[in-house]
Amino acid sequence: MTESGVTFDCAQFVLDNEMARMVKHVVRGVPVNDETLLVDDIHAVGPFEDYLSLDSTLARMREPSTSLLFDRRVREDWEADGGRDVYVRAHEKALEILDSHHPEPVTADVAARMSAVSARADAERGGD
Amino acid sequence: MTKRNLQAGEVSGGGFGLAALSGRDFQLIHRATLEVLERTGVFVEDEEALDLFSDGGCAIDREKRVVRIPPHVVEDAVVAAPESITLYGRDPKYDIVLEPGRVGFTNFSEGLQFVDPRSGERRASRKQDLADIARMADFLSEIDTFGVAVGAHDVPEPTAAVHNAEAQLLNTCKPVDAGPLNRQDVHDIVEMAALIAGGKDALREKPILFMGACPVSPLKLPREACEVIIECARAGIADNILSMAMSGASSPVTIAGTLVVHNAEVLAGLVLAQLAERGAPVIYGSSTTAMDLRLATASVGSPECGMIGACIAYIARRYCLPSFVAGA
Repeated sequence: MTESGVTFDCAQFVLDNEMARMVKHVVRGVPVNDETLLVDDIHAVGPFEDYLSLDSTLARMREPSTSLLFDRRVREDWEADGGRDVYVRAHEKALEILDSHHPEPVTADVAARMSAVSARADAERGGD
Repeated sequence: MTKRNLQAGEVSGGGFGLAALSGRDFQLIHRATLEVLERTGVFVEDEEALDLFSDGGCAIDREKRVVRIPPHVVEDAVVAAPESITLYGRDPKYDIVLEPGRVGFTNFSEGLQFVDPRSGERRASRKQDLADIARMADFLSEIDTFGVAVGAHDVPEPTAAVHNAEAQLLNTCKPVDAGPLNRQDVHDIVEMAALIAGGKDALREKPILFMGACPVSPLKLPREACEVIIECARAGIADNILSMAMSGASSPVTIAGTLVVHNAEVLAGLVLAQLAERGAPVIYGSSTTAMDLRLATASVGSPECGMIGACIAYIARRYCLPSFVAGA
């Protein structure tokens, strides 16, 4: 929403969804236990190796946050890929959803009977 | 690998949270609210609601339509309202439990205008726009329930809420948050939802929607809000009783004072719901923010809006109620 909730903007909706995903990532918090402290790994790696190929890293490689919209690449890579800002990408995503996503419809019979309810309401109390 | 035995726990936290208020702060706000409800009272426009409050042990001034609610009636209603509400999607993968402390997201509701994503034109919103936004909400991973993002302006105004609900229910398989404006809207929307759910009993058993009712600040329950609260309670549909105070204008300039007025309004609505049908599911709602006193606008998305939301979530948690707060 823009203008303090007056105007709906589809790209903003996609951005909001992405921000909500990030907020949930934060809310999950920082679990502190032996499986996360990984003292034995720290000992094994020591001061001169890295953690990239450890089992613990591979097993949890999907845990860190990732963004589908906010571009985390370096500027050169972002520019080489068109340099589209986040609003432009969110707008493209919105159009893609609108073009392609069609939730399971209710049956034609139920839809017709629902439509009859709104039509009856219009006739009974819809004004002129 | 060195053996590391299980550690006995301290208090299990398990998650980030905001400490918006202390327990003492809550007690002070709660007591102040009980005082306001008993001493100042709430304006209640609807006759049936006045009767329910009267039968429920409240002091009624029929002429001024002011209801004074004793603390024990408030406390009893808070206990009677369920802590957990389950909403059902048309697709069961969207079924969701609403409970204090569980964080979820929905869209901002009741917008008036729509930016056409293809032309870029900003115009009054239509029924088809709401249908299209419903499909987006259905797709977007973090949207748990779908509210009336924008209202239809191309349908008769008196029945717009019914048309909005139709567009919502037909175009998302997620639970829907409908916005009825009076008793008849609730009846029509329930009838529609029951067609999908397989009857009114099935809908009560597995509600695919919830609704909302707004007190008017300060301290008023208008007739239409009373009707929606009473009818939702009787239909077994969760009602989001949502206060829209504006700090500095329709509630005190301080956030603490605003929380008291806000709390009094929501609890008055909650008492009404419980007197209509004990055990009625109620969501503690808020779309409260501060007025920008320099510009005389309601700033949704301001620091105050977020702070008030965090305080409200804490207060609702202390009352063991699911909450719903605004941000934009």
